[in-house]
Amino acid sequence: MIAIQNIWKSFGEKQVHKGVDLTVNDNETTVILGRSGGGKSVLLKMIIGLIKPDAGSISVDGKNVTTMTFKQLQRLRFKFGFLFQGAALFDSMTVGENIELALRRHSDYKDVDIQDRVKYALSLVKLENVEHLMPSSISGGMKKRVGLARAIALTPKYMLYDEPTTGLDVETADGINLLINELKQNLGVTSLVVTHDVHSAFVVGDRFAIFENGQFIMTGTKDDIRNSPNPEVRKYIESDIQT
Amino acid sequence: MAHTPQLLPTRLFTLFGKGIIYFFDDLGRYFSIVWWMLRNSANAKEYSRNILQQMVMIGNNSIPIVLFVSFFVGMVTAVQSSYQLYDWIPRSVVGALVTKSVLLELVPLLSALVLAGKVGATITAEIGTMKVTEQIDALEALAFDPISFLITPRVLAGIFMFPLLVVFGDFVAILGGMFGASTIAGISREAFVEGMKNSFEMWDAVFGIIKGCFFGYIITSVASYQGYKVQGGSEGVGKATMNTVVLTCLAVVVMDFILASVLL
Repeated sequence: MIAIQNIWKSFGEKQVHKGVDLTVNDNETTVILGRSGGGKSVLLKMIIGLIKPDAGSISVDGKNVTTMTFKQLQRLRFKFGFLFQGAALFDSMTVGENIELALRRHSDYKDVDIQDRVKYALSLVKLENVEHLMPSSISGGMKKRVGLARAIALTPKYMLYDEPTTGLDVETADGINLLINELKQNLGVTSLVVTHDVHSAFVVGDRFAIFENGQFIMTGTKDDIRNSPNPEVRKYIESDIQT
Repeated sequence: MAHTPQLLPTRLFTLFGKGIIYFFDDLGRYFSIVWWMLRNSANAKEYSRNILQQMVMIGNNSIPIVLFVSFFVGMVTAVQSSYQLYDWIPRSVVGALVTKSVLLELVPLLSALVLAGKVGATITAEIGTMKVTEQIDALEALAFDPISFLITPRVLAGIFMFPLLVVFGDFVAILGGMFGASTIAGISREAFVEGMKNSFEMWDAVFGIIKGCFFGYIITSVASYQGYKVQGGSEGVGKATMNTVVLTCLAVVVMDFILASVLL
């Protein structure tokens, strides 16, 4: 379980988090919905210690991330897979090398096993025979899939998705949504998805948190969100109906 | 309370103060990365593949430009020395002058200035692009130490490969000097070699190699740091790359003076 408690964070003059609280339950997909540039991605990075909050605490399986040393953070990160907004593939490496990088560094797999593991991770994201390709030669949708394959190669307990469908056409975005659901079912991962895409959120999410002006203005199930009278929440629902 | 505009001297003083604070803040961040590299240098062997890759990038790929520059530096030194000393002293002195000049100063310094542009800019652009495209965050998310993975191999490769480039450059510069002296200045090869033999001291060559180590360190570490602290998008990468070229050139000439003062 991930518990975020009273998080405050500012960048210069801009206060992006004003006492944020959120609980991510095991085996669920929690979706944070909010406008672009509001600080949702920063929250994801805080969970694995890439960014430190100014105040508040984040605990993962009962351990406080905000007070961890570098070594402790490295051990914590084995539990996480992170899909970045632009996939963040290492552009000097092939697709295969991107996926096997962490396996070579952090596992005892032999060479043959690593190749099998790479193929398996790629098969989970519906890709095959792409190991030799460079990231610059594949499409945006494929990049996201490879990023996903890289994130799940070490079978993480938690998956963090930063805008997984941003910049993709509807069909490709639906494919990514399907993959998120399949990975949850097949690997049993607990997921936290950050998005401004309401359609995508309702396809993958079990629980929802609406992020507005540095705070969560509402958390709940799909029905709670859909039936909410809160005008700020209604804005999101209506934007989904319009799209 | 009404806002009162600051007087010009006050504004200048504020700007100066901010500049000083920024400079020392930046210097502190640079040295904290250097300290992190030193503290985790035991992990370097885990990244031996990266070190070899960087040695190829920094060393092998720079050989043609260093040799080209060195050959011409040697020729120019020979021709200009001959012009300045004509009829005054024995012609073998040109060989001595070329040898001393290229070993002690010209090859290490000019190679470093050329490589500050080529290697330094490449390193900053690479690491800076990784920063703005979240590849460095991705490395951290995969439980890697980005400084040990990205910066340490580049700095080690610089420290090892720059001196080697200097040695190659020395040879080619002396050959260039001999070629320039014989074809343009009308000095026989025998006279040039005689002057070279009479003036050669091993310490001169070693001093150039020591300079190469320091220049390799300063160029790769400053370039890596500039890339690592990039903010914003491609504009940030462009600015950082320009800063790298300027800062490394300045750092090289200052380091050149310090080494000459301390070691000679």
